[in-house]
Amino acid sequence: MATTRRDFLKVAGVAATVGAVGFPAVARGQAKPGVPSDPVKIGILAIRAGIAAPVGQAGLRGTEWWVERVNKAGGILGRPVQLVVEEESTPKDTVERYRKLILQDKVEVVIGGISTGVTLALGPVAEEMEVPWLSWDGTTQKGVEETMPNPKWAFRSVDNEVEAIVAGQLTPKYFKGVKTVAGIGNDYSYGHDCWETYQAVLKRYIPDVKFVLELFPKLGVTDFTSHIAAIQQAKPDLLMCSFWSGDATIIMKQAAAVGLFKSMKGVFTTAGGVHDSLKKEFTPEGLLLGYNTMYFDDPKGSPLLKQFVRDYKTKYDGYPPYECDHAYFNIESYKAAVEKAYATAGKWPSKVEVVRALEGIEVESLSGKRSWRPDHVQMCNFYQGVTTHKNSYDFVTINPIEVVSTKIAMKPAGSKLIEWINSWKI
Amino acid sequence: MTANLVNVLMGGVFHAAILFLVAAGLQLVFGVQKIFNLACGSFYALGAYTGISAVAYFTGHGGPPILFVVPLAAGGLAVGLVGLVVERGLLRFVYDRDETFQLLLTFALVLMLEDVIRLIWGSAPASTGGLYLAYGQARLLGATVPVYNLIVIAASLSIALGMGFLLTRTAFGRIIRAAADNREMAEALGVDMRWVYARVFTLGTMLGTLGGALVIPATAAMSEMGIELIVEAFAVVVIGGLGSMRGAFLGALVVGVLRSVAISVYPELEMLLIYLIVIAVLLWRPRGLFGAATA
Repeated sequence: MATTRRDFLKVAGVAATVGAVGFPAVARGQAKPGVPSDPVKIGILAIRAGIAAPVGQAGLRGTEWWVERVNKAGGILGRPVQLVVEEESTPKDTVERYRKLILQDKVEVVIGGISTGVTLALGPVAEEMEVPWLSWDGTTQKGVEETMPNPKWAFRSVDNEVEAIVAGQLTPKYFKGVKTVAGIGNDYSYGHDCWETYQAVLKRYIPDVKFVLELFPKLGVTDFTSHIAAIQQAKPDLLMCSFWSGDATIIMKQAAAVGLFKSMKGVFTTAGGVHDSLKKEFTPEGLLLGYNTMYFDDPKGSPLLKQFVRDYKTKYDGYPPYECDHAYFNIESYKAAVEKAYATAGKWPSKVEVVRALEGIEVESLSGKRSWRPDHVQMCNFYQGVTTHKNSYDFVTINPIEVVSTKIAMKPAGSKLIEWINSWKI
Repeated sequence: MTANLVNVLMGGVFHAAILFLVAAGLQLVFGVQKIFNLACGSFYALGAYTGISAVAYFTGHGGPPILFVVPLAAGGLAVGLVGLVVERGLLRFVYDRDETFQLLLTFALVLMLEDVIRLIWGSAPASTGGLYLAYGQARLLGATVPVYNLIVIAASLSIALGMGFLLTRTAFGRIIRAAADNREMAEALGVDMRWVYARVFTLGTMLGTLGGALVIPATAAMSEMGIELIVEAFAVVVIGGLGSMRGAFLGALVVGVLRSVAISVYPELEMLLIYLIVIAVLLWRPRGLFGAATA
């Protein structure tokens, strides 16, 4: 591949960045016997533009917080950690940057990936390049079914539809007498998959439930006035919404303006990703709200979580969303795997040894214990609950808090999603 | 039943009110300068973010929340002056070039402004919190309508009337129309076109930034919000007729209300319906409903 001027500038830019921020005052730790003393390079892929940019930013913030603490404590087996950050954008460009991280930057592991559209393409490349890849939030599912049942190098995030499953399980518990349901989600794979899954789960609990309306506005729409009018017209007992970005805030606000949730219940599977924009002024109490895999305000949270939330607040004047925890878990599990493999090998482990150590490993993450299932899928807890105004913030939080493990809310290895849901004994 | 109809119609008209402001800016600039300004959507986004900052500053310094529309509109209008900078600093160099250059230049602006917004305001969605509800709700034939929506609709209507007055009843309006009709003749009669272009482009920009500022209490700002709007504004001008102010008004109403009706009746048709109309107009009346190409 010929190096164009543009490529060169990119590389020069990365080199300059690495030069400037690569070693934030690392007290060069004493490398363990058999471990090289040069920095261990970790490649990071993060979305930096478009609608998912805040999510990518949160992942990067969680990673940087981890790196700062680990480097202060001497790095991994005494090797300081150096990040090489690249952008996740389209599948094609991201695959190229992924190759560049491995071939040119010679990273030991690549971490990141949010859009399943992108990670579906990254999976096979990871297998081909033979370097471990741990995904923050992306899967290798096509729709709701796995395309890579037995990967060697790729480690995928939790299935996208777990939040819809948890919400489906909790709906009958918190909302009695629901007979008609409307759904709204974004018009792409995630929105459709969540709705399909939620319906399948709810039908198991409420066999005679009717789904009276489904709306799929395009990603990026900022006016739902007309959609809300359509929902009012359909008069469902409950509205299920899988928005996860600024659109969650918008629909909440526009719904409040016409008093939508005075006449129906609401389930927001993933709006907890933008929790601090759900102001009390327009977000009612009594909605079911999902925070995905980390709840920043968990009273039972570990000292690690509390420290992270404090530091995050100080540095960014906000409260961290779940993507920080996906990212934290990924990089922490890599460190744990290297240390575990070192314990048997007595030297810095090879990439294959790291992968073997990763399989089934459990580590302490921000939200508590998280692990890799033997077939390389993240295992963790999901946090959902009922919105309340009783807190010291200007936005809603949840109480009670329901913590549901992927052990019961994610399809087991090798199974088909809808068949699995239909096989539940209820 | 009536309540449902009112809900659907008011939803459509609210959308149309914002769409009109952006499309009007697009039409004005195209009518006079013959430039199809792709960056109109970015100006809209810029107005939205500036509006949020202006309101935050206002309420942060003890301003009564009920008066938030004042800093909102002022912020939206003020940032429209960016149009003057863009026209004098960039556009005036490409008036004599091929249309492709002009399109490329305004497209470059779209990309750059998105980054500028991210640089200044960050990538997380921004909003004015709950101020949207500060004016409460009105009951209209059994339907609940946010009063703020009515204010925006009224503001947009007033601006439409004001634009009509400006274009048909004032000396500046006559000059604009003369310049749109025949640039050489207007110049020969002593009109300083540089002055006209600078003013027209700034005015066109202000319509877009004001639109962005006015919509923002009802929604949230995202750096790429402008791109979504360009597509709809484009449908509006095709339906209404490129360069026509009345066309922008009617086109916005058609797009806004039909979109709303489609969502209620058959949601899958939401976007398709608008493009079907665009295609129909292009086939049977390619100049649009008011396509006499007058500003």
